[in-house]
Amino acid sequence: MEFDPAYLVRHLPALWRGLLVTIEVSLAGMLFSIVLGVLGAAARYLRIPGLWQFVAFYVEFIRNTPLLVQMFFIVFGLPAIGLTLSLFWCGVLSLALWAAAYHVESIRGGLETVNKGLREAGQALGLKPWQFLVKVSLPLALRVAIPSMLNTSVSLVKNSSMLQAIGLMELTFVAVDRMAIDFRMLEMFTVLVVVYLALVFVLSFVAGRVEHVLQRPFRA
Amino acid sequence: MMTRLVSTCLAVLALCGGAATAQELPALPDAIKDQGTLRVGVRCDQPPYGFKDQNGDFAGVEVEMARQIAQWATGGQIEMMCVTAENRIPQLTAGKVDMLIATLGKTPERARVIDYSTPYNWGGSDLLVMKDSPIQKLADVRQAETVVMLKGTTQAAWFDANEPDVPTMRLNSISDALQAFKQGRGDVMAADVATLTVIAEKDDSVRMVNEPFAISVGGIGVRKNEPEWLAYINAALDRMAKENLYIPWIEKWAPEDKWGFYKASFPPAPFPEIE
Repeated sequence: MEFDPAYLVRHLPALWRGLLVTIEVSLAGMLFSIVLGVLGAAARYLRIPGLWQFVAFYVEFIRNTPLLVQMFFIVFGLPAIGLTLSLFWCGVLSLALWAAAYHVESIRGGLETVNKGLREAGQALGLKPWQFLVKVSLPLALRVAIPSMLNTSVSLVKNSSMLQAIGLMELTFVAVDRMAIDFRMLEMFTVLVVVYLALVFVLSFVAGRVEHVLQRPFRA
Repeated sequence: MMTRLVSTCLAVLALCGGAATAQELPALPDAIKDQGTLRVGVRCDQPPYGFKDQNGDFAGVEVEMARQIAQWATGGQIEMMCVTAENRIPQLTAGKVDMLIATLGKTPERARVIDYSTPYNWGGSDLLVMKDSPIQKLADVRQAETVVMLKGTTQAAWFDANEPDVPTMRLNSISDALQAFKQGRGDVMAADVATLTVIAEKDDSVRMVNEPFAISVGGIGVRKNEPEWLAYINAALDRMAKENLYIPWIEKWAPEDKWGFYKASFPPAPFPEIE
């Protein structure tokens, strides 16, 4: 079976639409996961009664169950208890919940690197714990956490391909659907590999810039 | 009475014909002969074509076909393997199986990638809707909110080609698709007539639109450039039809009230002309 560029060109519009969905669902997932991750880490850091135990359970639960199962639960399980989201938002929700669990741990690790002396200084200045968290330790912790949060975000982009199993028409879905219809593998797999590589490169570049900017105050 | 007499005569003739040609299968390709066993990809989720019975054993009409070819080719030595709509072609092209008897619908695009035997089955697609749905005929599908179907199927290809503006939702298995349909994620479900007939039969809240579309024939799939093997399979299929073997297999694996339906879609029933 030889590589047929004409076949590829014929299906580029559909692949392009799939790519847009992949980008949308990934970006929305990243945004929500970072917000959830920060909130979760804060809840653990401040030891908010009830909430921090819940966050700890949530992190363990998400990290110890397969993402695919979580996705199926959100798509087919939630409607049974009266919550039917669109496929797109099912995708965003499952990716965000998954990545947030890892972000919580990354940020918690970052928070633990904050110097004890700083905390004492904060107390001496009369900062309440949450004020100290928002103004001092979180900005410091996020710098430390960025590389591992980037890792999680890269995984999130790649894991968005699993959403093809629930029928969200993202990039992998379009390719797999085409492969199963026409039996042509080579063209579609090539597209998948090239496009995901490009997406991850772009993401790494952006994160590298963010890291660079955040480290600026610490460079001589 | 008259027709019955005629069909009996035809059956007898067919049997005689079968007996006359019984031993005329061409030579088995060396590759299969040396292997000593026949490796076949079959479906495990498509009753009555290919599925697993209560004991977890391979069952179905296509499985019987595979066993019969093995009987003739390798003295019954056979290794069967479950394949899905998505992975069956890679399994074949990568050499994991020697042939696919796996509800393999034929399209020109697919025929560029693998070779098909002469068709042994034909079928169409239909739509399933809720009883009170306003959709009465195929053209009404344009008013559908979302049509649920299986990924990579003839239905998916048909909607891409003929109704590209109708929103579709494509899942991996019939159970996923049915679940999504029943949960209201789509108001129409598109699938093979055979599959939908079974569903509509069991469920009073749904009905079929009964306007078949995307009529296609199915054949055994083999790798390109294996003409000897393809000729052997074609001869074996010919012999199965002549010896009327499909009838008992259908009666063994299909529910009795569906015998007529399936008998009309396997040889020796006439097939529609499609290219």
